[in-house]
Amino acid sequence: MIDREILLEKMKTSPYRPMKAKIVEMRMFTDKEKFFRFELEDNINLTHQPGQFVMVSMFGYGEAPISICSSPTDKGYLDLTVRNVGTFTDKLHQLDEGDVVGIRGPFGKGFPIDNMFGYDIVIVAGGLGIVPLRSLIRYIMYNRNDFGNIQILLGCKTPKDLLFGNETKEWQRRAEIKFNCTVDRADPDWKGNVGLITSLIPGVDLNPARTYGVVVGPPIMYKFVIAELLKKHIPDHQIILSLERRMRCGLGKCGHCQIEGVYVCQSGPVFDYSQIKDFKGECHEKAG
Amino acid sequence: MKKQGKPKLAFFDFTDCEGCQLQFANMGEALLQLTELVDIVNFREIMSEAGEDYNIAFIEGSITTDNDVKRIKRIREKAKVIISLGACATIGGVNGIKNRTPLEVAKQRVYGDKADSVNTIRTFAVHEVVKVDYFINGCPVYIPEVISVVKCALMGKPYVVPNYAVCVECKMNENVCRYEKDQECLGPVTRAGCNSWCINYGNKCYGCRGLVDNPAAAGQKDILQKYGLKLEDILQQFTLYNDAMGEKYDKEFKQ
Amino acid sequence: MKYAVIKKDDLTKWLEHLKKKAKLYAPKKKENLFVFRPVKDVNDVCLEYIPTILPPKKYYFPQKEKLLRFSIQPFKTAKAISEFEEFILFAVHTCDIAGIQCMDVVFRDGPEDPNYLNRKEKMTIIGIECLKYCDDKANCTSMANHVPRGGYDLMMVDIGERYILHINSEKGERLVKGVAYIKEASEKDIAHLERVREEKKKIFKEELKAPLREVYEAFDENFHSKVWEDVGNRCVACGNCTAVCPTCYCFDVLDDMDLSLNEGLRYRIWNSCQMDDFAKVSGGEDFRKGRDLRQRHRYYRKFKYPVDKFNRYFCTGCGRCTRTCMAGISLIETVNSLLKENAAKENSIVP
Repeated sequence: MIDREILLEKMKTSPYRPMKAKIVEMRMFTDKEKFFRFELEDNINLTHQPGQFVMVSMFGYGEAPISICSSPTDKGYLDLTVRNVGTFTDKLHQLDEGDVVGIRGPFGKGFPIDNMFGYDIVIVAGGLGIVPLRSLIRYIMYNRNDFGNIQILLGCKTPKDLLFGNETKEWQRRAEIKFNCTVDRADPDWKGNVGLITSLIPGVDLNPARTYGVVVGPPIMYKFVIAELLKKHIPDHQIILSLERRMRCGLGKCGHCQIEGVYVCQSGPVFDYSQIKDFKGECHEKAG
Repeated sequence: MKKQGKPKLAFFDFTDCEGCQLQFANMGEALLQLTELVDIVNFREIMSEAGEDYNIAFIEGSITTDNDVKRIKRIREKAKVIISLGACATIGGVNGIKNRTPLEVAKQRVYGDKADSVNTIRTFAVHEVVKVDYFINGCPVYIPEVISVVKCALMGKPYVVPNYAVCVECKMNENVCRYEKDQECLGPVTRAGCNSWCINYGNKCYGCRGLVDNPAAAGQKDILQKYGLKLEDILQQFTLYNDAMGEKYDKEFKQ
Repeated sequence: MKYAVIKKDDLTKWLEHLKKKAKLYAPKKKENLFVFRPVKDVNDVCLEYIPTILPPKKYYFPQKEKLLRFSIQPFKTAKAISEFEEFILFAVHTCDIAGIQCMDVVFRDGPEDPNYLNRKEKMTIIGIECLKYCDDKANCTSMANHVPRGGYDLMMVDIGERYILHINSEKGERLVKGVAYIKEASEKDIAHLERVREEKKKIFKEELKAPLREVYEAFDENFHSKVWEDVGNRCVACGNCTAVCPTCYCFDVLDDMDLSLNEGLRYRIWNSCQMDDFAKVSGGEDFRKGRDLRQRHRYYRKFKYPVDKFNRYFCTGCGRCTRTCMAGISLIETVNSLLKENAAKENSIVP
C-alpha cells in the first residue's frame, strides 16, 4: 500500500517526472525481441494490474509506452519485453546491464482481474500479444485457486518467434493449465500445430457464461478471434482485449491514442468487447 | 565525453555559394561549445590548413560534373557519416535550373562557343549519388536545425526532417498568412524545420526545403484559384529551388 | 461592489496601473490582423479587434513548454519551471474565455496537469464583451458564447463614454479597489448596460441552422458522411485550424539536449491531429489515415466527444479555424451541410 501511495503522490505532483530504473537482467528472445528486468529507485514496486503499461524514458531519445510483462505478484522487479522497431527501441536494445532508464506509470486500465475471479479463462495471444498476457498468466498461476479452468492459445509466425522460451515450456508442463501453440510456418523440428490462431478456437471446450476470453495480438488478428469467441457465445463483456496506440503522455491529454472519443491510455489499453463494438470506424480491431 | 578520439568534422564544397558553411561559421557561441566535442579538420571558411582524416563529412553543394561524382564517392568511402548541408546538397537547389532544358541547350546558353570544352552533367542532389545519413535543408541552413542535426549525429540517432508544412511552424509563430497579403507563398507544401524563418521576417516561403512527402495537390490548387493564382505561377515558384526534383512536382501538380 | 465604471479617457491610466501589478498581455494590431502581446506602450492596446491569430492559450498552454530538466550521467530529473509568473490577460473576448473554461476541464480531469494548473492560478482574466460581430466567420451565438458566462475576473462592457466592469472574483476586485478613477456603477449605468444587452440581441442571431442538440445528433448520426470527404479533399493539412483553436491541446513530447550531450530539457510542443503521422504506431499501422478522417476527428472533438465526456461543446464559436483556413473550409458551412444531410436522411426514413 505504501508503494501505491508514493506512486499516486508522484503522479499528482510531477506526472512527467520519471523514476529511475536500473537494468538488472536482459536476454534476447529472438532477433528482434529483448527481455529486460528492471529494479526501480528505492526498491519501489509498481503495484500495477496485469495489462497496464509504463512510459519508458531514455533522455535525449524520448519516451515510449511499453506493456509490463511481470505480474504484480513478482516483487522487487519489473519486466518488459521490447521489439526493436525504431530509433527508441533500437537504443533501448543497445543498453547494458547496470544502465539506467526512466519509468513513469503504471498507466491505464489493466485486465479486470477482480471480475475474472472464479471464472474459466481462455487466453489468446498472437505474436507480441503474449507480452502483456504473461503478466496475467503469472498472476493467475500465483493465485491459481482463485480461477477456474485456464487455457492458453499461443500463436506466432515461426517456432523461432516464440517468446519467453523456457517459461512457456513450464506453462505447458503444468497440468492445471491447458496450453496450445500454433505457428504460421513450421520448421522441421516443430511438432505442434500449424495454422492461424483462429483455427485453435473451435476445438476449445468451454462454458460461455462462465468464461472470459482474453485476446492480445496484432490489429488484424482481433476481428477474427473475436468473431470465433462470439460464435462460442461468450458474452461481449467477457471478451477482453488490449489495444496498441501511439502515446506521448499516458495522462489522457496529448491526443495521439484517441479512438473516437476515448483515450486508450486512460480508458484502456484493456477494453472489453462491449466497450469497443459501438466505435464507428476508428477501431481497426473491431469485428465486422 | 573524452578529449581523445573526438569525432573529426570536415566540410566539402561542390556546386554552391558556400553560404551554408558561412552559416556554420556564424553559429557563434555554439560553435565554440561544439569544438569541445569535435575537431574540425577541414573547413576552408574558418581555417587555413586542411586536415586529411575525418569521420563526419558535411557536404555543401550539388553534384554537377563527372569529377564531382568521383569526388563524392571517395568522400563516402572515407566518412562514417555524411551530412547534406543546404538546399543545393539536399534537393539540388538553384543549380537544378539546368535540368529543365536539354543539357546541350543549357551548355550553349551559358558557355556559348566554349560549350564543347565544358564537362557538365545534369544536377544531382547528393543522396542521388551516394548514401546520405543526415539532411539539413534550407537556403541557407537554419542554425538551430544545424545544431540539432549535429547533436543527433554525435549521439548516433537519426534526425527526422519534419514532414509537415512550413505553415505549422508559421502559425505557431503567429504570422499573418502571406495569402492574406496576396502573395503566393510556398509554405503549405514545403517541409518545415526552419521555424518559418523567412515569414517571421516579413518575407514569403520560396520552398528552399523541398516538398513534403504527401502534399495535398488538389487542395493546393483550390487555394491558388481562390487567391487568383494559376498553377503555372506556383510551378514557376518551385523552379527557383526545386528544379532538380521537377519531375516530382510535375507528377503531383500537373495531373 | 459588483459593478464598477471607468471613463474611456481613464483607460490608459488603468492600463499603466495594471502593468505595474503583473505582466500584462493585450490585443495589438499586426498587419491587418491582431495578436495578443505583452503590453509595452499602452496606446497600442486594441479593444475593438477580431479574434487574434492565436488565442491567448499561448500564455497558459505555451507552444513549446518545458516539462522536465534531466541529466543522463548521473541519472537526474528536476522540475523545469520552478516559479510561474503572475499575469493579466486584458480584453479577452467571451469566446476565448469559454475556451479557457474548456481547457480547465481537460487539465483538471485526472491525472491533473500541474503545469497548466499552476499557470492558471497566476492568471487574471479581464474580459470584454462584443457588442457587434467581429465578422461573418464567428458562430458564437449558436455556441452561446456571445455573452459572458463566467470564467473571468473582470468583464468590461462598452456603455458609451464609459466601460462598465463586472467584478467576478476577489482577484478582479483587487484590480479596481482603491483606484480613484474607477467608481461604483450607478443604477443609471446598470440600466444602460441592460439597454446595450437588449440592443445586442437584435444583432446576434444563431449562425448554425439548428440548435446545438440537433447539431450533436447530426454528428452522432453522420460519422460516415460525404461532408467529410469533401472537407478532406480541400484540406492541405497545414495544421492552421488546430493551432488557432482555443480548445485544441494535443501535443508531442521531445527531448532537447544541450551541447554537453548529457543534460537537456524535455518539452511538450503543440501537435496537430491533422499531421500525417499523428495516429501512426511504430509498427506502421495508421489508425486515422487520410485528410478526411483527420478533419472529421477535429470536428468531432468540438461537437461530439467532449459533449459525451464533459457535457461541454469545445467549439467556442470564435471563427478562427474558418478565418485561417487557406482552403476556405468554413466551420459554419461544414456543420450546416451535416445538418442538411441529416435532415435529408431523416426525411427519407419516414415512410
